[in-house]
Amino acid sequence: MATAVVARPAARPQARARDEEVLVWPDLVFVEFISALLFTFTIFILSVILNAPLLDQANPDVTQNPAKAPWYLLNLQELLLHMEAATAGVIVPTVWLIILGAFPYFDRDNDGQGAWFATEGSVKLTVVSAIVGVVGTWLLILWNQGTIASVLNSWFGISGGDTFRFLENSRAIQGNLPWPEWSESIPYLPFELRILDEGFTGFGATTFQNVDLPSFIVEIAIPIIMMVGLPSLLIYVLWRIGWVFTRRDALIVLFSGFVAVNAMLVLAGTGFRGEDQDLVFPWNLSVDEGIPGYQPPD
Amino acid sequence: MAVEQPGKPTLADKIYDKMFHNYVWKSIFRTGYPNTPRNQMLVVATNLFLHLHPTRIHRTHVKITHTYCLGGLTFFMFLGLTVTGILLMFYYVPSVERAYLDIQNIQTNVQFGQLMRNMHRWMAHAMVILVFLHMMRVFYTGAYKPPREFNWVVGVILLVLTFLLSFTGYLLPWDQLAFWAITVGSEIAGAAPVLGPKTRFWMLGGFEVGPESLIRFYTLHVIALPLLAAIFMAVHFWRIRRDGGLARPL
Ligand code: HEM
Repeated sequence: MATAVVARPAARPQARARDEEVLVWPDLVFVEFISALLFTFTIFILSVILNAPLLDQANPDVTQNPAKAPWYLLNLQELLLHMEAATAGVIVPTVWLIILGAFPYFDRDNDGQGAWFATEGSVKLTVVSAIVGVVGTWLLILWNQGTIASVLNSWFGISGGDTFRFLENSRAIQGNLPWPEWSESIPYLPFELRILDEGFTGFGATTFQNVDLPSFIVEIAIPIIMMVGLPSLLIYVLWRIGWVFTRRDALIVLFSGFVAVNAMLVLAGTGFRGEDQDLVFPWNLSVDEGIPGYQPPD
Repeated sequence: MAVEQPGKPTLADKIYDKMFHNYVWKSIFRTGYPNTPRNQMLVVATNLFLHLHPTRIHRTHVKITHTYCLGGLTFFMFLGLTVTGILLMFYYVPSVERAYLDIQNIQTNVQFGQLMRNMHRWMAHAMVILVFLHMMRVFYTGAYKPPREFNWVVGVILLVLTFLLSFTGYLLPWDQLAFWAITVGSEIAGAAPVLGPKTRFWMLGGFEVGPESLIRFYTLHVIALPLLAAIFMAVHFWRIRRDGGLARPL
């Protein structure tokens, strides 16, 4: 009887280089101790000078405007403003976490491990992708908010008139193009598929039979094309000009872009979204909007 | 050549001997004070807490700029949050009637209560930031490569658990910030196709954020999620050792 052996030579720990090793006590324990001490001290000082926020007692009848999720979820809340809720809030983060977890199974080469930016050109790739991520995110937010159109119009007198109004933001594609009536309910299943009817509880069932094409394009298709297409395009372009060579390079572009986009979404959601989630400058925010340390005036 | 004779023990030697070579000390620590390489290795190998480490590690890995201690600090935040969290639990009851008043009480009537609450809050934010930075350092040092693939996956799970820990804690003060943040957050989960509404219902224990949500979030926050996180951290640390310590260049 033969037992199948899967060969994975790389998955064996490297041989130790004993003459390069130092003792954990004192060398490492000392570093850990000092950093723990420094951190305790920092948190302690911060806690002395800055109080944790506590607003009025929870009241379901008094809506907070704007109501914001904790800051690390504001990236998703920002996406929610631009696309269909399930796509923004559930599908995008789930798919992204799966992609993130799959990184090591895509890039299995041991090249460049164990040291910062060890592969050739990795700093360059990181910087370029981060810049593209930052600029791209803001351009998309500003476009979809109609800010770009209104700046072009009021500062430079450029206006597409009614003909090009549909380019002002993605929702205008739905609202300002002459969609024929049939396009708003196109059957794609020959029968009605209902799932999880919650009945009187108010949620209703999810039904699958017809698709509202303009809304589908604006709420799902365009965002997904942007989120999948733009990173792919970036990797493709960098590959064509010879900067991206290995899988590691591609991941550096993807990851750095993600970090930048994510940071910008959190920033936009935290510092630039005011009442009714309108885009405002941070200094025009009233301070109770989830800013740490805020105490209501009494 | 004269062989060097040991001199007479000085007073310091005698005190040292009395302190570290007596019956009680040896019953606790087995080794002497870690001032010789032998004792230093023994102390790491025989002490449960230090035993998370190997006895010797590669030179480059003690350089602060290799890890910036980010993983270690994330873990340290977890420990600090446990300590301050337990202190807060002494005073906090997760009921809609009491939660908010208890927080006020902690801030005004409890000795160092405000300080404990502040530290718990800021450490929670710090942990979220640190775990993200730790992930970035692991990525940019290429430390997810074989044989560390699975530890990266364990890391991603820990990342999610950290978010969940923070998210469930967010509701507990039962103020407007908490209530509406969780309302928005749970609406995000509720938007999931097909399973969304049910998920939201299970999460909140109802259709809206209410008393049932508070007790659910509390239970998850103080026992279920910390336990899960601790288990995954144990796996994470164990795997670091099994995978041959931290990654280093070929
Ligand atoms: C609660 C969260 C976490 C804790 C407490 C934690 C703790 C640690 C510690 C103490 C180390 C040792 C080296 C260092 O300090 O950098 C480490 C290494 C590592 N962590 Fe984490 N970690 C967490 C989350 C993550 C995440 C989110 C990822 C990735 C997605 C990750 C992936 C790794 C990997 C691959 C290593 C091995 C690094 C190497 O070999 O150089 N960990 N972790």
